Amino acid sequence: MFQHKKPSTMNSHDRPMCVQGDSGLVLTTDPKPRLRWTVELHERFVDAVTQLGGPDKATPKTIMRVMGVKGLTLYHLKSHLQKFRLGKQPHKEFNDHSIKDASSLELQRNTASSSNIMARSMNEMQMEVQRRLHEQLEVQRHLQLRIEAQGKYMQSILEKACQTLAGESMASGSYKANIGSQGLPDMGVMKDFGSPLNFPSFQDLNIFGGDQLDLQHNMERPQLDGFMQNNDNICLGKKRTSPYSGSGKSPLIWSDDLRLQDLGTTPSCLGPQDHDPFKSADQIQISRPSMDRSGADIDSISDIYETKPPLQGGGDSMGEKKFEASVKLEKPSPRRAPLPTDRMNPMINAGAMPQGRNSPFG
Amino acid sequence: MSLVISSSIAIAMAMDDTLELDYSVHSNNTTTTAEYDHDYGCNWQYSWPPVDDWEAVAGCDDFRDLIESMMDDGELNFNLQHPCEQVVEEGNSSNSDMTADTMVVDEETKGDDSKGVKLVHLLMAAAEALTGANKSRDLARVILVRLKEMVSPTDGTNMERLAAYFTEALYGLLEGAGGVQPKHLISNGPHRDERHHHTDLLAAFQLLQDMSPYVKFGHFTANQAVLEAVAQDRRVHIVDFDIMEGIQWASLMQALASKKDGPPAPHLRITAITRGGSGSGRRSIGTIQETGRRLTAFAASIGQPFSFYQCRLDKDETFRPSALKLVRGEALVVNCILHLPHFNHRAPQSVASFLSGAKTLNPRIVTLVEEEVGPIGGGFMDTLHHYSAVFDSLEADFPMHSRARALVERVFLGPRISTSLARVYLAGGRDGDDESLNGPWGEWLAAGGFRPIPISFANHCQAKLLLGLFNDGYRVEELANNKIALGWKSRRLLSASVWST
Repeated sequence: MFQHKKPSTMNSHDRPMCVQGDSGLVLTTDPKPRLRWTVELHERFVDAVTQLGGPDKATPKTIMRVMGVKGLTLYHLKSHLQKFRLGKQPHKEFNDHSIKDASSLELQRNTASSSNIMARSMNEMQMEVQRRLHEQLEVQRHLQLRIEAQGKYMQSILEKACQTLAGESMASGSYKANIGSQGLPDMGVMKDFGSPLNFPSFQDLNIFGGDQLDLQHNMERPQLDGFMQNNDNICLGKKRTSPYSGSGKSPLIWSDDLRLQDLGTTPSCLGPQDHDPFKSADQIQISRPSMDRSGADIDSISDIYETKPPLQGGGDSMGEKKFEASVKLEKPSPRRAPLPTDRMNPMINAGAMPQGRNSPFG
Repeated sequence: MSLVISSSIAIAMAMDDTLELDYSVHSNNTTTTAEYDHDYGCNWQYSWPPVDDWEAVAGCDDFRDLIESMMDDGELNFNLQHPCEQVVEEGNSSNSDMTADTMVVDEETKGDDSKGVKLVHLLMAAAEALTGANKSRDLARVILVRLKEMVSPTDGTNMERLAAYFTEALYGLLEGAGGVQPKHLISNGPHRDERHHHTDLLAAFQLLQDMSPYVKFGHFTANQAVLEAVAQDRRVHIVDFDIMEGIQWASLMQALASKKDGPPAPHLRITAITRGGSGSGRRSIGTIQETGRRLTAFAASIGQPFSFYQCRLDKDETFRPSALKLVRGEALVVNCILHLPHFNHRAPQSVASFLSGAKTLNPRIVTLVEEEVGPIGGGFMDTLHHYSAVFDSLEADFPMHSRARALVERVFLGPRISTSLARVYLAGGRDGDDESLNGPWGEWLAAGGFRPIPISFANHCQAKLLLGLFNDGYRVEELANNKIALGWKSRRLLSASVWST
């Protein structure tokens, strides 16, 4: 509040002479008559402002009316109100104002005044709120990182399983036979989604061989693909737009985060490196892989996943959007995480988290 | 085989028949008709159908509301005001034709809701027949057979699939109750062979995590509490009761390793409690050794100092604290996650031995995640409510992905339903059972002298933010200073609490 202002260059012996006018206002005698905001006057001011619903609601005109002090002009009130408002946001810069106005000195000296005390407690409350907000932002950030960590760990499990199955399928010689024994209906579940998980990509294993890189490509892509049904809903689950997500209570950042889900981590992370996955959704599905990876294989991979035409229905898309929203945050998102690794394909590092680590784990 | 079938049940069957005129269940029709001819009097103390007002049923969109309103009627003594009532009072089961006629008009207009209601009635009847005051395994069998015809675990609405799993679970009780040790039923898988293929397990697990916050809620809340408790420690030792695939620790390690300011990452040691033989359960994503390898590799990839240990339980799954290797100066954390959808059942005695053993070790913090039992106190209806909420929650976000949900239901939820029901009906009925082991573990800890540790603002905030990523129907509720619960709509499902000694 006012007392926190930097002391102005004026000190007490420079204080201009004051006279008390008829109206009870204290005006200085220097060439530009300035109103001195005495404690009592300030208290009345604060009372009026409070009456009017706070500094943001009160206007100079209304304050003037409420205070009913003769000789008080809109000009006085305007500047005082501005300072008062700024004073309520402690970390904002108000030093320049304080220097100009002698009244701030007065207030600074009257540290015991009730208005200062009130101001201070309001300040503390404000700071508490600020603290909570900061904490909440921190929590958000951490949550994202933690979800990503789980996602990476999941990747390692799935990759291992894929390798195991790849081994099995190679060994048995016929992949189809394996599928049968695994319970085709369930694989069919995945197929329905256009391979939501890595497993349908086992089909690809035969086609693309056991190359580690490809494996990982396959691993990553399907993560979400299936659920997106390769349609134009790659709109990364903007939660707000989904009827199932309710009132879009995702505060502040999340919805933006969702949109920003980075391709690089998992191809399924929709894509476009720009923050506008909602547009050109159709292209996203196809172009994404080629953006991420090099190699001719990629386009054929995406072909395989393009098992269904884009859905047009709102219902479907909504449901999937929702899913994408939730899944999105599971996927590692190098852009957001403090991992300046290869953004395009961190998964090639098998989910190594910090920069520079290239050993796949799992 | 003479069947003791009350007239009211007969009418229920008749009602079924009317609805199923379109179904080709001819063979069954003949059997049941034959049964109707036997009038053995009313062995059933409740009126049937147990619904006041069919009109209300018709207008009721929310099945769960209906169930709740039924429950409000008190026990199962419903008044019957339906035209059918007169038939019931006459006690004449051969009126099935007449009832069929009078019923047709009403039934056809009710649609799915009434089928759902009917399913619940039949399930309740079956449960009651199996375990209630007037036990009749034969009656239960009849009802379950009927139910099996009506529902399938892979088709139909949520309610129908749910009913299918409950039917299977009850069937399991039926088969098992004939002299087999109850413990046998509290197994990790329903009565039929449930060797899920590895890929199914993994697929279902991935889906479960993507489609719902159940897994993350418990893990993240526990982890946050751990992080706060060991913030200044150089060495942290976590004893994990049921590490499963180890994913909980991925995010903890990430958090530990990425602290920017303050002390460098502490050395993390995790001891996984292992069970001999089939302890890992049929539904396991891998062995403990694999989990250890994965965690070690993950830790290495993020630069987190880490070591992995195992501690085996006794043959009877008792925990012996002396079997644990402890190191001076390490902050001991005890992690006990139970009842997550993909978890295996752990015998209450085993859990109790673990927690009481843990107490003797004076851990810095004990994290507990468990199922929340409903207000009705954990009986059949409560379990039905519980899983109904879970099924609904999955559907709410992913209405179109019925096959994905069906997979999760088949791999995880169905078996859990079986074990839950087995616990409901078989626990507490044996001599020497400690009743307190059937209640919530949080209460057990409180009674056992554990101190509650408040859940921080940040932790609570994290839970809310996490749920914000999913459907609005999920709620975080603060049940106590040290306990928050994840719920779907008005139903609490899972709770996480923090304790110390």
